[in-house]
Formats: sequence, structure tokens, C-alpha cells
Amino acid sequence: MTTRSLRIMTSLMLISILAASCSGEKKDGSGTTVLVFKHGKIAGDYAEFKKLLDRFERQNPDIRIKDEILPSSTDEQHQFYVINLEGKSADFDVLSMDVIWVPEFARAGWLRDMSGLLPPKRRGDFFPGPMRAVTYHNRIYAVPWYIDAGLLYYRADLLDKYGLKPPDTWEELVRTARIVMSGERGMYGFVWQGKQYEGLVCNTLEFFWSNGGRVLGRGKAAIDSPENAQALAFMKDLIVKYKISPPLVTTAVEETCRRIFGGGRAVYMRNWPYAFKVLERRGSAVRGKVGVSELPAFDGRKPRSALGGWQLGINRYSRHAREAELLIGFLSSPEAQKFLALALGYNPALKSMYRDPDLRLARPFFERLYRIFMSARPRPASPYYMMITQVMQPEFSAALTGIKSPQEALESASRQIDHLLGVVGR
Amino acid sequence: MVKKTAFYLLLSVVLAYCAGPIIWQILTSVKPDQELARIPPLVTSHPTAAHYIAVFSGYPFMRIILNSAIVALSTTILSLAAGSACAFGLAKLRVRYKSLVLAFVLSVSMFPPIATVSPLYLIIRFLGLRDTLYALIITYTTFSLPLCIWIITNFFRSVPDEIYRAARIDGCGPWRIYYLIMLPLSLPALFTAAILVFIFSWNEFLFALTFTATASSRTIPVAIALFPGLHEIPWGDIAAASVTVTVPVILLALAFQRRIVEGLTSGAVRG
Amino acid sequence: MRDDRGTGFTAPAVVLLTLVTAYPLAYVLYLSLFRKMVIFDISKFIGADNYLYMLHDARFWNALENTAYITLVSVALELALGVGIALLINRPFRLKAVARALILVPWAIPTVVSAKMWEWIFNTDSGVMNYLLGARINWLGSPFWAIHAAVFADVWKTTPFVVILIYAGLQVIPRELFLAARCDGAGPWQIFRRITLPLLKPVILVVLIFRSLDAFRIFDTVYVLTGGGPANTTETLSIYAYKLLFQTLQFGYGSAMAVVVFLCVGLISVLYVKMLARESAW
Repeated sequence: MTTRSLRIMTSLMLISILAASCSGEKKDGSGTTVLVFKHGKIAGDYAEFKKLLDRFERQNPDIRIKDEILPSSTDEQHQFYVINLEGKSADFDVLSMDVIWVPEFARAGWLRDMSGLLPPKRRGDFFPGPMRAVTYHNRIYAVPWYIDAGLLYYRADLLDKYGLKPPDTWEELVRTARIVMSGERGMYGFVWQGKQYEGLVCNTLEFFWSNGGRVLGRGKAAIDSPENAQALAFMKDLIVKYKISPPLVTTAVEETCRRIFGGGRAVYMRNWPYAFKVLERRGSAVRGKVGVSELPAFDGRKPRSALGGWQLGINRYSRHAREAELLIGFLSSPEAQKFLALALGYNPALKSMYRDPDLRLARPFFERLYRIFMSARPRPASPYYMMITQVMQPEFSAALTGIKSPQEALESASRQIDHLLGVVGR
Repeated sequence: MVKKTAFYLLLSVVLAYCAGPIIWQILTSVKPDQELARIPPLVTSHPTAAHYIAVFSGYPFMRIILNSAIVALSTTILSLAAGSACAFGLAKLRVRYKSLVLAFVLSVSMFPPIATVSPLYLIIRFLGLRDTLYALIITYTTFSLPLCIWIITNFFRSVPDEIYRAARIDGCGPWRIYYLIMLPLSLPALFTAAILVFIFSWNEFLFALTFTATASSRTIPVAIALFPGLHEIPWGDIAAASVTVTVPVILLALAFQRRIVEGLTSGAVRG
Repeated sequence: MRDDRGTGFTAPAVVLLTLVTAYPLAYVLYLSLFRKMVIFDISKFIGADNYLYMLHDARFWNALENTAYITLVSVALELALGVGIALLINRPFRLKAVARALILVPWAIPTVVSAKMWEWIFNTDSGVMNYLLGARINWLGSPFWAIHAAVFADVWKTTPFVVILIYAGLQVIPRELFLAARCDGAGPWQIFRRITLPLLKPVILVVLIFRSLDAFRIFDTVYVLTGGGPANTTETLSIYAYKLLFQTLQFGYGSAMAVVVFLCVGLISVLYVKMLARESAW
């Protein structure tokens, strides 16, 4: 019995090992350059995206694109890039980066200088926020691909029912939410992202900025200010005092909020533009009832959305820089941007797209988005941002869950940020 | 009678605790999209195969399952082979610095994987094994060996020394004793270790994500991690995929279970 | 027996382990002696400074505390549950094979799936847990509950590991011992304490070591459930190390953190061996 099973096992193993050698890609011959494009999973129909890449290949017959996909978790993508770029890997040429990574990667020397591809007169073609995010020491290290910013979603039908307008100030948001909540059963007032992760920082900074506060000022921490303390206290009050946000916002990410709002259980939601398409799908409980607007601000202040979106850069160690520039030029061109907007629902980073009549027709709220994107503010575009956010996330979370008072949290954050910036000079 | 009902009651609680979530996953995998987020419809009245279709048509899933199977199988066999041999040496034969070897073997498992993934990746790239299944097989075998060695050494030690001595007197060399006597005796340990190694290899994520780049060498956990779009999580598809990948493992475990029982009844241990 | 050389048998495994892990282990140790922050272009040998800094790092102590708590509670619960379940199924009954396969399910589900599944189960609004309890506990967002939710998810996932090992260990105990004890009039608890438990010691040692090793390095489950929050109340050493290495690119300090995890786990293993192992060969 045993010898037989051992023989079976050994043969299985040999077969497996032989099979293992069958993996891996076939080599491409015949003088074409293979360009490896690394990016996160496409949100939408991948076949459409493939069409776009095919179009590029037709226009550039001596370049073939190898499309390698990473998981959509931004942490996992960042981790992948860190491991590879720190190891000087030339395994990919073009990479897609979250808006907050570009200064960091640039500082680490992992990106090619692309100032040639985007001469000063072309820079105005893109939104100012992303341009700020891809500029480091006056050189350009990435090209904006598509853009995102925080939006206020509201139940237009419910606001109409109670004769209310979408709010311009946070105070008004609280007031109107309460009116609707008292009239309707089982509804939350306002859902937003409060879990301890990057999304929390986006949400919190939006509150800070809408009260005139900021994170950094003149190379030092400016986060410990009365404006920020007031904003942070307000966020906490949304949960405990005004009770229009449920305690579960401290576990909420974008999808959590989208589900709640999409199930018809919230009056207001803060989320990224992607949610709109999902909410308007057939079978959605809130189809046709959703409105989108700028975020509110504190009384007398201007609102500000946090900037999101992805940028295209070239791996410093890539051996196909010229071809990579061609691909990036293509993907940021008006024809590609329009295609992406129509086929995949991405928001173009090119300003001119927002005057395109086809897009305006196909995408509701498009003009409104333009305004919001114009004023969207990047998180501090500093190479040290990843460290700064690691300081801010637990402090904000501590304030929201009542472990620390807003003042304590901000004071602690400020101290740590100064220490960080001081450690390495300016 | 009371004892029997108490037993079955307790057993049901245990089974509900263990298998409850997978049953919930199965129920979720046939729910249409609209009902996914709500709890009151625990069992849907409109079951749909849409998620399973999406999983198999939208991704090269069969290829990916094959990759995982190849890696898991190879890892298991290699780990058992090297591990049981090592255990035999440590348990029954003369080896210098035995405790040191055991300590070293254990220490391999003591580092957090996130710290070792970077340098390991550099080695893999240096050897030109990036995006191959070999990279995973080598890595997984390495990290499965400590558990294998410790479990099997433990069991070998519980086998009475007289058996070895008797066989030796009969003229068997150490290799034959290992192959013909010790291995069959320790089937419970071998199959236990086999199940654990197989499952570890089947579900490992971090190294699989780092070492592979394309579908030709991708394994299941990475494929599942690729399901969600930027924000949306297709729960139905994930449930379908996880049911698809968990069921083979359970069936494998079922097959192995009987071996474990067989092992103890073929007891030369009884003298 | 002790005259036969065993080096030929042990060599393949040891050689493979050495070849594959020597470089990474050395690399991590080496990096831990540097201040290496890629963003700042710093790569400076600072000896033991990273470790000294760690002693004063409140976040490190917080992570250590969280990790120790999770490890202690998880392993204790898993051991108790695992032994209990193994004893329960250690008798003939119908559909035994099916039951044992089902018990394996939590271990068999990929972690990427089970972590997300538990995130869903603990969802305050539409999660199964609150549905069954009829409560509205903020499992993952409350500083008190979050760490216990993580423990619960981990215990669920890893109990089968304990069950399968203890069960295999039970098979090795000769039935005659039980029968003899029963004849002598011993009750089930006495049998357990005097016969089963002592004979299970070697297996329990293996279980304790490997479970503690894993629990101390816990990462995936907690990271998906809470990301280390709220307010770092569930941040484990591995999560802190991960953020240092891959988010803030502090390779030196992050490696030092990994070395400390290694040392802690080594200490725990030594303690277990001293407490439980009888033979000097161990």
C-alpha cells in the first residue's frame, strides 16, 4: 500500500514540477518593443480599456503593450511599487500612481523627469490640483490621468419633499438632515468615511479646509489651530451631539457609505464621483433620486474638496523611456481621455474635456464637477506626506472615538509632524 | 440517550460555528446583486448562477486554479519528503547539535513575512524566477518545513525505539527502516502535516502577490484580490469564487481523513 | 540507533532552509542597524540606535501591548476550544468524516476572503453578528470592541489547526490506557487530567509554539478588519512594521521592528519548551 502511494506521489510531484515550468510568458521576437504598463484594476469594463490600448498599438506598430494589473487596494499597489522600485526593477515601464505618491517616488529617485513631455504651456491644460501634485522642485514627474474629488451626495427627492435646498454650510446640513430624519423613519443624516485609513484624512482635511485651516504652513506644522480644533470637534459632534451620523462611521469606508446611501438609508453622503454611476444602476433603491453638489463649508468660508485621482509616470529604471512617453502622451490626449470618460466613467484630468458637448450630454452634473475639480485641493504635496498621514490618521481617529479631545489630538499631531520635518531638515 | 442528544447538540453547535460562514457564502453566491447587501433575505428566492458565470468567464479562473493546485501539490510533496527525512534523522539517529537544528528550523518561521518579502523578492529576481511557479514552490516549501519537521519529529519520537532496533537486527539499513517502517507508521502525522501545508500553500497571499505578475502564474488568493474595482466590492463574485476554491480543499481533507484513520489501524505499534 | 548517522536525512531540509533564508534574515538584521529612509536619502549605520529609539517609542509599546493581548487571548481560546472539539469528535459516529471536514472549513478559506467576510459579519448596520444578537454594537469602530472582534475572527480561523493536531495526537494514545482507567473507576475528568493531558503534552507544545508564533505575527486579519484602528487600538507589531516599511519607507526602523518580533517569539518559544518539554533532547 505504502510503496504504491509513494510511487503515485512521486509521479505527481514530477508531473507538477514539469507543469510548473510551463508557466511564464512566451518570448516576443521580431524587434517590437514590449512596454509593460502596470496599473490598478480598471473600474469598469476591461474590454473597453483594452480597445484603447489596441488603438495605441495600431498607431504605433512597433510597440506592443503588456498590461499588468495590480489589486485595487492602494496599499497593495504602493507596497508592490516600493518593493520593486527599491529593488531597481526594470520589469515595468509605465506605472499608475495615486495622487499622494508622486512627490514621494520622485524624491526617492524612482521616476523619470517628464518635464519635456509637459512644457509649461501645456501644463495649464490640466487641472491645477493634480499639476501641483505631480510637480516636485519645479520638475514634472508624472502626467495626470484621471481625477477625483470629494462630493456631497444628497437625496434630492427627500429635500424636495420637505421644501429644503442642498446646504451651503455645515450648520445647514445638520439642520436639514434633522428635519428629514424626524419626518422619515430609520434614516441616518450624514454618512462619511471615518475608519482609520487614508480616507479619514481626506474627509477630515475637507472639514479643516472648509474652516480655513491647513496642515502645513511655511515648512512647519500648522495643524494645531483653533479652526482645525473647531472642525474636528464638529465632526465628533456629528456623531455624539447632533446625532446625524451614526457611530458606525468610525468603521466606514467608501463602499460602506455607498451601500447605506444606496439602500435609501441616509440623507447625505460624502463620497467620490464613482458612486454616482453605481447609485444610478437599474435596481438601485435611489435611482433618479440622487443629487450631487459641492461639499458645504463653515459659515463664511469657502468649501474645498480633497483631490484624488491617478497619474502616469515612467519607471526610472525602464529601458524604454521613449516608448513609455508615447504611451503616456496617448493616454492623456483628448481622444483617449474622452474615450475613458464615455466608456469607463472616469473623470478626465484634461480641462478641455469638460466643454465637450458629447460628454456633457452623457454625464449628468459634468459642469458642476468641473467647478469642484478646479478648486479641489491636494493633500500636502510633500515627499513626507506618507509619514505625515501615518501621524494624522490615529490622531483623527482618537478624536472621533473620544479617546482624546480634538485639541489634544491636534497638539500631538503637530508635535509629531514638526519632529518629522525637523529630523530631516527642510 | 441523553448523552447522545447532548453530543449531537454540541456537535451541531460546533459545526454551525465552523461551517456557518461558508454556508452563508454559498447562500450569498447565488443571490442576485440587488439583494446582496440586505440581511433579512438570508436565503434568496431568486437564486442566480450569474456570479459563478462571471467568475469563470470573466477571469482565466481554471488556469489559476491549476496554478494553485500545482504549487500546493508540489509544495506538499517536497515538504513532506524533506521534512520527514529530517525528522527521522532528528528523532531516531545521531545528529550533531540536534537542539540547534530544531531551533534554527523554528527560527525560520519566526520572522514576520512582511520583513522577508523584499529580500526574498530580490533573490527570486536574481535567479530569474520572477513570475514563475517555481518561485512560489521554493518559498512555500521553505516556510512549511518548520511545521512539518516539528510535527513529524514529534510523532517519530512516540514510536518505540525497539522497532528500530529490531529492524536493524534483521539487517535493515536506516533508509529502508525509514521508507518501509517509519513512514507507514506515522501516516496520521504525515497526512495532518500534508493538509496543513496544502492549505497554507493554497491560501498564501503576500508572496504570491509579490512574485507573480501575470495570469500565467497567478494563484487563487491574488486572483480574488483582483476582483474588486477601485471602490466596489463584488460580493457575489467573491462568494462564488471562495466557494469554488474552498470546496476542493474540503474534499481533499475528506479524502485525507480516511488515511489518518487507516494509519492508526495498521498498527505495528501494537507490537 | 544512535550509532547510525542521521546527517544524510536531515541535510536536504536544512540545506534548503539555509539557502533560501540566509540572505533575507541577514538582510533584515543588517538593515536594522541602519537608519535607512529612502525618501530622505539617508542610509547611515547607527548601530543599536533603532532599538534604543524603540524603547522610548510609545507607539511601539502600544503595538506590543495589543499584540501580546491578542496572542494571549487567542491562543488560550484556541487551545481550549481545539482540545474540546478534538475530544468531542474522538469517538465513532455517523458522518464523522463529513463533520471533520467541515470543522476544517475556517482554516481552508483563503485569508483574503475570511478577513473581508468577518468585516462584513461585524458590520454594525447589516452584519450577521448584530442581526443574531439583536444589538447595534459598533464592533470595528469602538476602541473597546475592535480588538475583541479581531480576536474572535482569528480564533475562528485558526481553531481547526489546533483541532487537527490535537486529534492526531489523541490517536497515538493507546486505547488500553483509557479502558484500564475506566475499569479502575476513573471519571472522565480524571482520565482527562491524569492520562490524556500529560500524553498530549508534546503535541500541545507544538501547537502552542506555532500558534503563538502565528498569533504574535498576526497581520492580514486585523489589517483588513480595522487597519490598526480605531486610534491604533488594534495596531499590532506586524502592522506597525508594515506601515514603517511599506508606507513610510523607513526600512531601518521597520527591520528593527521585525527583529524585535523575532526575538519576542523566540523568547516565547523558549519559555514554552522549558515549561512543557521533559526530554533533554528537545
